[in-house]
Amino acid sequence: MELKKIIKSRELTVGLVMIGLIVFFSLSSERFLTTNNIKNILLQVSSIGVASIGMTMIIITGGIDVSAGSILGIVAVTLGKAATNGFPAWLSIILGILVGLALGSVNASFIALLGIPPIIVTLGMMSLLRSLAYTFLGGRWIASLPGAVRWMGLGKILNVPVPIWLTIILVAYFSYFMRYRPLGRYIYAVGNSLEAARVSGVDTKRILFFVYALAGLMYGIAGAIVVGRAGIVQTNTGNNFELQVIAATVLGGTSILGGKGTIVGSILGSLLVAVLSNGLILLNVPALTEGLIIGVLILGSVAIDVIKNRGEE
Amino acid sequence: MMKKFLKLMAVNRSFFLFVFLIGMFVVFSFIIPEFSTIYNVLNMTKYGVEIGLLAFAETLIIISGGGGIDLSIGSILSLSAMVIGVLAGRLGVNIVIASILGIITGGLCGVVNGFFVSFLRIPPLIVTLSTMYVYDSLALLIAVDKWGNPMPVSNFPYGYYFIGQQTYFNIPFQVIAIFIPLALMLHFVLSKTTFGRYLVATGNSEVVARFSSVPVRRVKFTVYVIGGFLAGLAALIMTSRIASARPDLGAGLNLQAITIAVLGGTNIMGGEGSILGTLMAIVVITALYNGLQLAGISSIWQVGTLGIILIGSAIANIILSKKFSSVE
Repeated sequence: MELKKIIKSRELTVGLVMIGLIVFFSLSSERFLTTNNIKNILLQVSSIGVASIGMTMIIITGGIDVSAGSILGIVAVTLGKAATNGFPAWLSIILGILVGLALGSVNASFIALLGIPPIIVTLGMMSLLRSLAYTFLGGRWIASLPGAVRWMGLGKILNVPVPIWLTIILVAYFSYFMRYRPLGRYIYAVGNSLEAARVSGVDTKRILFFVYALAGLMYGIAGAIVVGRAGIVQTNTGNNFELQVIAATVLGGTSILGGKGTIVGSILGSLLVAVLSNGLILLNVPALTEGLIIGVLILGSVAIDVIKNRGEE
Repeated sequence: MMKKFLKLMAVNRSFFLFVFLIGMFVVFSFIIPEFSTIYNVLNMTKYGVEIGLLAFAETLIIISGGGGIDLSIGSILSLSAMVIGVLAGRLGVNIVIASILGIITGGLCGVVNGFFVSFLRIPPLIVTLSTMYVYDSLALLIAVDKWGNPMPVSNFPYGYYFIGQQTYFNIPFQVIAIFIPLALMLHFVLSKTTFGRYLVATGNSEVVARFSSVPVRRVKFTVYVIGGFLAGLAALIMTSRIASARPDLGAGLNLQAITIAVLGGTNIMGGEGSILGTLMAIVVITALYNGLQLAGISSIWQVGTLGIILIGSAIANIILSKKFSSVE
C-alpha cells in the first residue's frame, strides 16, 4: 500500500525525470557534473526554493500569491537602502527580512480577516509594490553594497555557502512542520475544505493569516539571498519571480485546487527547472528556447499526472 | 434616497464604477484644465483599446469558472505581433495577409490553451502559466534577425498605420470601427445568446451544467479560442498604433487585464460578470491613467494606482454589502 503510494507520488516522477536529465547532461557535457557547477545549480535554486516553502503552503490552502516577486523587490530595496545609508550589515539584512514579513502580514490581513479572494489581494499588492519599489529607487541602481551585507548570498559555513544551508534547514524544518505539527495538518485541512475545517473547530482565519505572513517572511529571506548573490539592486529585481516560484511549486505536485502537496516536491520542482536551464546553457542551446522547454516540461508533466490518476476519481 | 443610492452601488458594479468615474472626472477637471477638453477625452480612448480587448477576453474566460484564467494572454499578443511584424516587415508578405495570419496565430494559441483546459482538464492556471513561457519564447525566437539577436520590426508599409493612428472627428479609428462594435457584439453574445447562458451556467456549476446537457467542454474550449483571437486583434492594433512589433509587447499585460476584469465585477470564482462592467472598468482605468499623466505623476504609478483601486473596491464592496445584508 505504502509502496504503491510512493510509486504514484509526484515527487518520484519529478525525481526520475531529474535523474534522467542529469545522466543525459553528464554524458553530453563534461562540465556538467563538476563540484563547481553543482554548487552553481544549488545556489540558483536556493532563493526560489526558500520562497516556494511559503508558496507551497499558500497553494495547499487553495490560495495563490502573485505578489511574491514585488515583495522580494521591496525587500531588496529596503536592504540596499539601509546598507548604503550607514546601517550595520546585520541590521540591514534583518530589516529587509522584516519588511517581507510585514508585507506578507498585509496580504494576510486582507485575505484572512476581510475575506477578500487571494488573487485579488495579491494582484493589487503586486502592482502597488512594484510602483513603490520604482519610486524608492528613483530609477537608479544600488550597486555599491558593502561586502558584509552580501553574507546571505556569498557567506560560507564549513565551506558550504549560506544559501544552501538556509535552504536545507528551512526545507527540513517546514517539511517536518507540515507533516507532524498540528498547525501544519490544519493547513491541509483548510485546503481540503475550509468549511469542514471551520466546523471541526479549526481557527481558519488564524491558519490563513499564518500562511500568508510566513510566506512574506520566506520572500524576505529569499530577497536577502538574491541581493547577496547579485550584489546589486535594480528596479526589476524580483520581476517574474512569482511565476517562477509558482511554476516550481505546481511542477512539484502541489495541487492548484488545494489540499495536496509537499515542500520537498516544490524543492524538487525548482531543482528540475534549475538543472534544465543550467544544462541547456552548457549544451549551447540558445537561451531564447529556455521558456519553450520549461513550459512544455511543466505542461507535459502535469498532463501525464492528470491522465495517470484519472481512473481513480 | 441616500440608502437606495448606496444599495445600488453595492449591488451593481457598473453603477459603482460610473459614480467613481464621474467623481474622478470632476476632480481631474478641477486640477487639470486640459483634462476635460473634447480633444483629450476622445484621444485618450485609443489607449484603452488594446488592454480593453484583453480584459474582455479575461472576462469571458474567468466567467467560465473552474479557476478559469489566462496568464498567457499578453504573450499571445507578443507572438501575434511578431508574426505580423516578421511576415510583413522582414519577409515582405502582403500586409493584409500578414495581419490575418497574425490574428489566426492568436486564435491558434487559444486553441492550444482551450484543448489542455477543457479536453485534458488541466487547471487553467497551470496550462496558461506554461503556455505563457512557450509563447514568449516563440515570440523571441521568430524575432531573431539575421545576426542572431531578437530585434523589433518597424518597417511596416505606410498604409498599415490607419488602424491605430487614423482619427475621424478626433475619434480614433480603432475605437469606432473595432472596439465599440466588438464590445456590443460580446455584450450581446454574453447576455442574449444560448452560448452566453451556457457560459454562465458552466461557471456557476459545471456539474449542474453538464446534467442540464450544456456542452461544458465545448463552451470552455470556445472562450479560450475567443480569448486568443481578441489578443491577436489587440496585437494588430498595437503594432499599428506604435508602428513597431516587439517580442515583449505584451509583457505584464496579462495581470493588468485580469485586474481590470475583476475590477469590472467579474467574479474570480466564475459564473458572474458582464461586458458592461468590464467596459466601465476600462473607461475608469483609461481616464485615470490619462489624468495621472496630465497631472505630471510618473507613469510608474499607473499600475500602482490600479492596485490600490482593485483592493479598495474589494473592501468597499465588502463594507457596502455587509451594511445592506444586515438591514434585510
